[in-house]
Amino acid sequence: MLTITYSRRAGPGALAIAAGSPAAQALLAQSDQPVFRDEPEQLLPILTPDGWRIVVGLGAPGGLSASVLRRIGGMLFARLAGGGIAHLQVDLALPSAQIAQLAYGMRLRAWRPAARYRQKADPEKIWHLNRVTLVCSTPKAVEACTVPLLQLASAVHLARDLAVAPANYLTPPAFVAALRDIEGVALELVDPARAGLALLQAVGQGSQYKPTLALLHWRGGAHQDAPVVLVGKGITFDTGGIDIKPRLNMHAMKGDMSGAAAVAGALQALAARRAPINAVGVLAIAENMPSGRALRPGDVIQGHAGLSVEVIDTDAEGRLVLADALSYAARRFHPSLMIDLATLTGAVEVTLGHHRAGLFTADDGLAASLVAAGEAEEEKLWRLPLTDRYDQAIASDVADLRNCTWERGPDALHAARFLQRFLPEGLAWAHLDIAGMSETDEDVPLGAAGPTGFGVRLLDRLLRDLFETAP
Amino acid sequence: MKISFAKPDSDLEGALVLTVLEGRLLTATTRTVDSNSGGTVTRAIAASRFEGKKDQTLLILAPAGLAYAKLLLLGVGPAKALDAKLAQGLGGTVVSQLLTSNDATVTVAIDSIDGSALTPADFAANLGFGAKLRAYRFDRYRTKEKPEDKPSLKKLVLSVAEPGAAKKSFAPLAAIAEGVYLTRDLVSEPANVIYPESLAGRAQALTEHGIEVERLGEKHMRKLGMGALLGVGQGSERESQLVVMRWNGGHADKPPLAFIGKGVTFDSGGISIKPAGGMEDMKWDMGGAAVVIGLMRALALRKAPVNVVGVIGLVENMPSGSAQRPGDVVTTLSGQTVEVINTDAEGRLVLADVLWYTQDRFKPEFMIDLATLTGAVIIALGDQFAGLFSNDDTLSERLTAAGLAVGEPVWRLPLDDGYDKQIKSEIADMMNVGGREAGSITAAMFLKRFVKDCKWAHLDIAGVTWSKKDGSVTPKGATAFGVRLLERLVTDHYQAG
Repeated sequence: MLTITYSRRAGPGALAIAAGSPAAQALLAQSDQPVFRDEPEQLLPILTPDGWRIVVGLGAPGGLSASVLRRIGGMLFARLAGGGIAHLQVDLALPSAQIAQLAYGMRLRAWRPAARYRQKADPEKIWHLNRVTLVCSTPKAVEACTVPLLQLASAVHLARDLAVAPANYLTPPAFVAALRDIEGVALELVDPARAGLALLQAVGQGSQYKPTLALLHWRGGAHQDAPVVLVGKGITFDTGGIDIKPRLNMHAMKGDMSGAAAVAGALQALAARRAPINAVGVLAIAENMPSGRALRPGDVIQGHAGLSVEVIDTDAEGRLVLADALSYAARRFHPSLMIDLATLTGAVEVTLGHHRAGLFTADDGLAASLVAAGEAEEEKLWRLPLTDRYDQAIASDVADLRNCTWERGPDALHAARFLQRFLPEGLAWAHLDIAGMSETDEDVPLGAAGPTGFGVRLLDRLLRDLFETAP
Repeated sequence: MKISFAKPDSDLEGALVLTVLEGRLLTATTRTVDSNSGGTVTRAIAASRFEGKKDQTLLILAPAGLAYAKLLLLGVGPAKALDAKLAQGLGGTVVSQLLTSNDATVTVAIDSIDGSALTPADFAANLGFGAKLRAYRFDRYRTKEKPEDKPSLKKLVLSVAEPGAAKKSFAPLAAIAEGVYLTRDLVSEPANVIYPESLAGRAQALTEHGIEVERLGEKHMRKLGMGALLGVGQGSERESQLVVMRWNGGHADKPPLAFIGKGVTFDSGGISIKPAGGMEDMKWDMGGAAVVIGLMRALALRKAPVNVVGVIGLVENMPSGSAQRPGDVVTTLSGQTVEVINTDAEGRLVLADVLWYTQDRFKPEFMIDLATLTGAVIIALGDQFAGLFSNDDTLSERLTAAGLAVGEPVWRLPLDDGYDKQIKSEIADMMNVGGREAGSITAAMFLKRFVKDCKWAHLDIAGVTWSKKDGSVTPKGATAFGVRLLERLVTDHYQAG
């Protein structure tokens, strides 16, 4: 854990200074380093008789957007974490809001899987850096700007913690137990068998663990205000079921609950800052296993919305659990806005790769708000068609719908349209297919390789933009 | 099938098509026929589920008291929804119902529809256009087709109060249909008939419409330095070709619009050979080039007041002792080098040289390339949208709007710098493939490296060039997707006057 403290002046020890400052200029003049470009993400540690001085490139003062500052912070942490410095003081003479963003970037980057999965710490990956002091003339003001961002970073870390957890640790009941620990939100469990969530039930029926629909309530708005509903796909492990997946990289399917993890993180963030809105997180939690009682290809299931579904591929299970979760939440809560996140299709990775998540909505205004929030928070989206042009692909010979087709085609579009069929008309709804974004296989400025927590910051930003900005 | 326009009641043979609006509202002619036949129409409707919904039909055989062999009631839908595109769809419906119905002549009674923005003349013209598009057949190689499977329909008469106005409205549409037919023919032809030189020959035939055509062979291209295009063709017995088609209908000082087409006349994949199943489809890997040829024809036939250049790179991608190998490095016309990781990602190699050549030589207003480029676009968008990639928002919006207007929709996909690192090579400036993820985007990022400061759009038409099922104005097979779209783009935004 990286502790952030605030101070009016720097004490002895390691100190990060802006490349443009007189002190840095004097050091650079003596240094034998040939060139140092004063640009964002350029760093140069110099050992002086007074200790380490980290020269930090900031570039032209006008170029320091929040996003660039977060990246600088992330870089600073990544470069220094294992370098023997336990306490770093940062004195970059930046305004409060800017230094806060830099600290936010450091904290976002300072995440790794919980130590409990190892017997011995990896000596290559020991972090010495555990405390950062922000040196500034107004520590109180900087603290006030920084604390909410650090809370948000903790929510991102929660989502990553859940996603990285092995599926034998994070079973459906263990997932529910983890949700109980989220401060400030009320947990309600819906039994799929009693609530008519037959699709969720069916996906989980092959596992020894019962599926559940977990609701996280945050009530910060007026009593009568319709809530925002955030829905997440929470398949704690996806073997594919009877249509079992090829074994190559199947271990990554422990992350098939990343949508639900992002929703949990978003609810924690709303509660932490006491957001003035009502929100419900809806997590469809199940484990998709092959067994003697598992769902079979060809089975027909009638879900919560009353529509029957022929299951063509038991590995297209995400859309089944979401169909029930969306239908249930729409009809129980009459939300003002509903957004679901799911690691839903391989097709979206073929389409957009690892730079943007797929966005599907019939609502142009909502699409624009989501895209803008994504650009602001480095969690980018790209809108894809939500259309009835492919309805033939999800038409069944025996039931109202089928969950997919074996024909090669745009499965991400089919899945989005499938979900839409379970919703009442006119509801403001968006579906985010985050299959390409929930994990990164290389280090990025705000996180090491592994789960990204994608969606937490995006949702938090969207809700602030839509409901909490002064008119 | 011949299409003509005539005043009402000039023809009494064959089948008569009558329009009915949604809610079983009879149009004027339909009412007249109904009363002349003692209520045949109203009785038939009452005995059926026909509501007059768009594209619904009801066939009445040997109607009492009339000279016609049959009546076809054609549902138009609600009057206010009737527009040009819908009228074209109705024409397609008429043809699909009556093409092989034993009637040589079909007359469609066009009435004035209150509440529609379409004039009767435009209604007639667009219905005729849709009928023409739908009536396309490629039957050159059928030698023993049964008589009952052959089209019976020879003459479609559109009966309308002002045939002169309808004819005038139809003329530019007929030109587009000619372009579409040419494109479909070229795409449907097998690869033993259409190869680089023969396809270049078909393009050369456009000189009869006033188009200037130049052909560059391998020697010439080698001298220019088109190492990427030539590398793709080097495994084939057939000589690669570059064809430049120029239509100068605008002011001499106006820069031309440039349309560029991928023309891989057969794509076996080369040494990275494709699996056998479905490989025969690869005869249509020249779909982009065929669209450019068809578009040039359409523009020339209607004497479009605009300068246009069409440039197509024609190669055959074959494995052989002289074929390009995976790992080869080629130098493109731009001077940039490419490591060929997969010889089956050949379209982008051809386009790289053609794009560079076109912008260097013609300094065009914009460049739009069309290519059956990636399988990934089929996983992204299926067979309902082409993938659109562009460095220009205005051009993208115009293409999107034109696509919706003509029923050839495109969907824009991103070109972020972040995707660029997927095509970094260890030994050359870039690789020709970027992995499974974002496969269409990395192909477009590759092309982007061969575009200087020119407005540019790339249409990945791999999912829309060939259709496995009949569409409203496109019978199954070659669709010619792109001809109508680009013709509309030119008409709406780039013509003089």
